[in-house]
Amino acid sequence: MSENLEQSFVKQLKDNQNIIHKICRLYTSGEDAHKDLFQEVTIQLWKAFPKFRGDSKFSTWAYRVALNTAITLYRKSTRSISTVDYESQSYFISQEDYNSEEEEQLKLMYQAVHQLNDIEKALIYMYLEDKDYTEIAETLGISEVNARVKMNRIKGKLKKILNP
Amino acid sequence: MMEELDLLKKDWKKNENSYQQISEVDIYKMLHKKSSSIVKWILIISILEVLLWTSISLIFNTDDYFKKMHTEYLIAYFKYFTILNYVVIAIFIYFFYVNYKNISTTTSTKQLMKDILKTRKTVKYYVWYNLTMIIVSSIIGFALAFSTNPQMSQVTSNSKIFAITICVMIVFMAIFVGVFWLFYRLIYGTLLRKLFRNYNELKKIDL
Repeated sequence: MSENLEQSFVKQLKDNQNIIHKICRLYTSGEDAHKDLFQEVTIQLWKAFPKFRGDSKFSTWAYRVALNTAITLYRKSTRSISTVDYESQSYFISQEDYNSEEEEQLKLMYQAVHQLNDIEKALIYMYLEDKDYTEIAETLGISEVNARVKMNRIKGKLKKILNP
Repeated sequence: MMEELDLLKKDWKKNENSYQQISEVDIYKMLHKKSSSIVKWILIISILEVLLWTSISLIFNTDDYFKKMHTEYLIAYFKYFTILNYVVIAIFIYFFYVNYKNISTTTSTKQLMKDILKTRKTVKYYVWYNLTMIIVSSIIGFALAFSTNPQMSQVTSNSKIFAITICVMIVFMAIFVGVFWLFYRLIYGTLLRKLFRNYNELKKIDL
């Protein structure tokens, strides 16, 4: 592969790396696992890059490959992490902007999200990223109506976890 | 509830830029690392399987056996059989290659899973083909031995001993196939457990 291609890829990936970080955060816990998944996503993106035509945005293209890698290609089980380290989540919450009740709620929310299965996490990720249902359905390969139904169920499930 | 989800979304967006950034140099390094994806593992295992089974069928020299049994007239038939075997191997390798090439991380999650399972299935059929061939040729081999070897025909004359011999052979083959079945369950079971779980989850959504 040409050096130009490599340069262009590395530059775009560097600028869009938060997309991958966010997916790693949902699907892994711990710094090592995060890095490991980040690396695998990078390799898969690079493999697919020659076919990337630029008819969609790099970010749109990248998050799909990243989700597919996390859900399907990544070998280490992403589900065995049902006991999430609360404290590792808390550094994301900046103290000044939230009152303690909201902080507590957020902690519980993140913990609940981590307990979802791989597919549900993908749906929540796309919800948090404001993707519309057409895109969600297309990304996962399910129908739009069913994507909506499933999303409502997940929201219900989270509600149940938070308010038993 | 919506309020809580909105709170989560707000926090999620706020932390958008809180991740430790990876430098261009480190990204370059990552590009040259080896993938450890399940597709890579399926490819490696598949190549090993095809090599193993192809070499087994090459090592198995039927000509000598026919000469020993004084049934040289069968050698010509087995030539066709061998050619057929090569054609089948070629077809399998072709399909495997096409399926493997079709695996793309840019399709939908469900399609990607289907494509991976299809590739793995091709190899599975290849292995079953070889197992069937081994069983069929051992049955033919035993039948020939019984009909042409004078020592063996003593066995066939005694129906009790003959029945026991057949039973032992069947048990032996069942164990042979069983061991392979277990072996495959173990290898692919570990490798594909997560894929199957998520695939079923996706299928359930569309039910």
